[in-house]
Amino acid sequence: MAESPNVRLHLSNRSENVLLVREMLSGFAESVALENSDLYDIRTAVTEAANNVVLHAYEGREGPMEVELHTTPDTVQVVVRDSGVGIRPRIRPADEAALGIGLPLIQALVHSVEFSEANGSGTEVRMEFLAGCERPLAPPEPEHTDTHPLAVDDPASTIAVTVSPATLARAVLPRILSVLAARAHFSTDRISDAQLVADSLAAHAPESLGADRLSLTARVEGRTLELCVGPLGAGRADRLVMDSDVQGLGPVIEKLTDERRVATVGSSEMLALQLVDRA
Amino acid sequence: MTPPVSAVPKHAPHNGHHDEQELFARWHEHGDREAREALVARFMPLARSLARRYDRSSEPFDDLLQVASLGLLKALDRFDPELGHSFPSFAVPTILGEMRRYFRDSGWSVHVPRGAQERALRVRDAQERLANERGRAPTVNQLAEYLEFDIEEIIDALQAIQAYEALSLDAPRPGADEDVMAYGDSMGRDDERFELVELDATITAVLERIPPRERLILRMRFVEDLTQTEIAARVGISQMQVSRLLRRSLDQLRALTDEGRDGPRRRKGGLSD
Repeated sequence: MAESPNVRLHLSNRSENVLLVREMLSGFAESVALENSDLYDIRTAVTEAANNVVLHAYEGREGPMEVELHTTPDTVQVVVRDSGVGIRPRIRPADEAALGIGLPLIQALVHSVEFSEANGSGTEVRMEFLAGCERPLAPPEPEHTDTHPLAVDDPASTIAVTVSPATLARAVLPRILSVLAARAHFSTDRISDAQLVADSLAAHAPESLGADRLSLTARVEGRTLELCVGPLGAGRADRLVMDSDVQGLGPVIEKLTDERRVATVGSSEMLALQLVDRA
Repeated sequence: MTPPVSAVPKHAPHNGHHDEQELFARWHEHGDREAREALVARFMPLARSLARRYDRSSEPFDDLLQVASLGLLKALDRFDPELGHSFPSFAVPTILGEMRRYFRDSGWSVHVPRGAQERALRVRDAQERLANERGRAPTVNQLAEYLEFDIEEIIDALQAIQAYEALSLDAPRPGADEDVMAYGDSMGRDDERFELVELDATITAVLERIPPRERLILRMRFVEDLTQTEIAARVGISQMQVSRLLRRSLDQLRALTDEGRDGPRRRKGGLSD
């Protein structure tokens, strides 16, 4: 699909990452005031597709999973993609007998579903749901290749998120960061701080990215949550921190994070933020 | 709200009975998976409506839908069209049986039914109790273990609490200890003292426009660098309410700052103003 998605998630196919996909959908539903019953259907079908990638795409090994969310005023489309063993071995009677309500469930819950080979190998499951968004989103910003989050050292433990428009990031990012903060064993008050950082990034990133979009990578390392926002234009990383300034309180992002670093990559900058639970 | 369980799926065509018999014959006698899929698609609304009946129970809806779907598949395998019953009349007890077995196995009967809001309240109360007992705010895992909720339920509750205005000042707290006052009571008394503390602080034009209590909480968090748990203890509200008030007032402040901007470039240096 040529169109840019409203949300793109790059994750590994670890089973714990399915929760990130589900929370993304919950945040999306909240943002557009989706009917609860539509959310349940979408979340159930997408969970099945994601679990399929977790269980079968890489035959027990770890590999990438990509999830995209596209919307129109009366449809929601979710694409779940992997670069694993391909679709054919997966729809086999043995699976169906064992775990097997996945595919019938997806087929029963979607308006339409298309299974295809993705990028030469792997599988793409494209599900379309008829679901009215009570508060439709602004169209997503067109993407250029240079707006993708930069390649990361360790794709297995890093997730990359791109959300557009930024109003959607406001609903999606706090949930995603909450899950990751929980994984880093943060206490509830530090999780709330992570949500405040997410709010602040969603509010100020469009200005710093020069587009109505927020893209970042996130990683949990022990008890540390690391975020890397960008790519940003030259000089924009510092500005993003300063933009979070509230008169009398200081820059909120600076106050809530333990470490901030600006990394220059070519002509772009990345703002790296670290949160640790101090307790 | 919940459709009657005996309802035949709405989209079943008028010639549905004959058509269904053929599909069952294809599946039962020839193992025709297409026929089975057609039957699943046709009767999935039935399974879903059954799962929805338990939506306000302790189980996440998706799990219920899974179990109901499993029941549906069993019913499709076992149904005998020769006996002259309609499929729904056979399937409903099978699906419900599957769900009841699931509830029994997961200890459902000992849980009070609870919806998302009640879950959020229980998470809030547990958060407070554990923070008091252990002297630090609990982690999501600790809350999940304590309440026997799953991680997703805790994460959702942490979000939901932000949304429920019902949890604000006047909300009664079910199961709260007797010596814990309603929020409103505990607040009014302390407000005056806090106001005095704040008089000698720099109050900028923007901060002045939000209520004193929110201003105080913002200052405690961002100027005095107290944790939300410490703020909660001082102000006499829950940490999750501190969290909610912080998010809300930062939103307000951002809106006010945007409103107050003269041009596209913002003035900097708020700290030294």
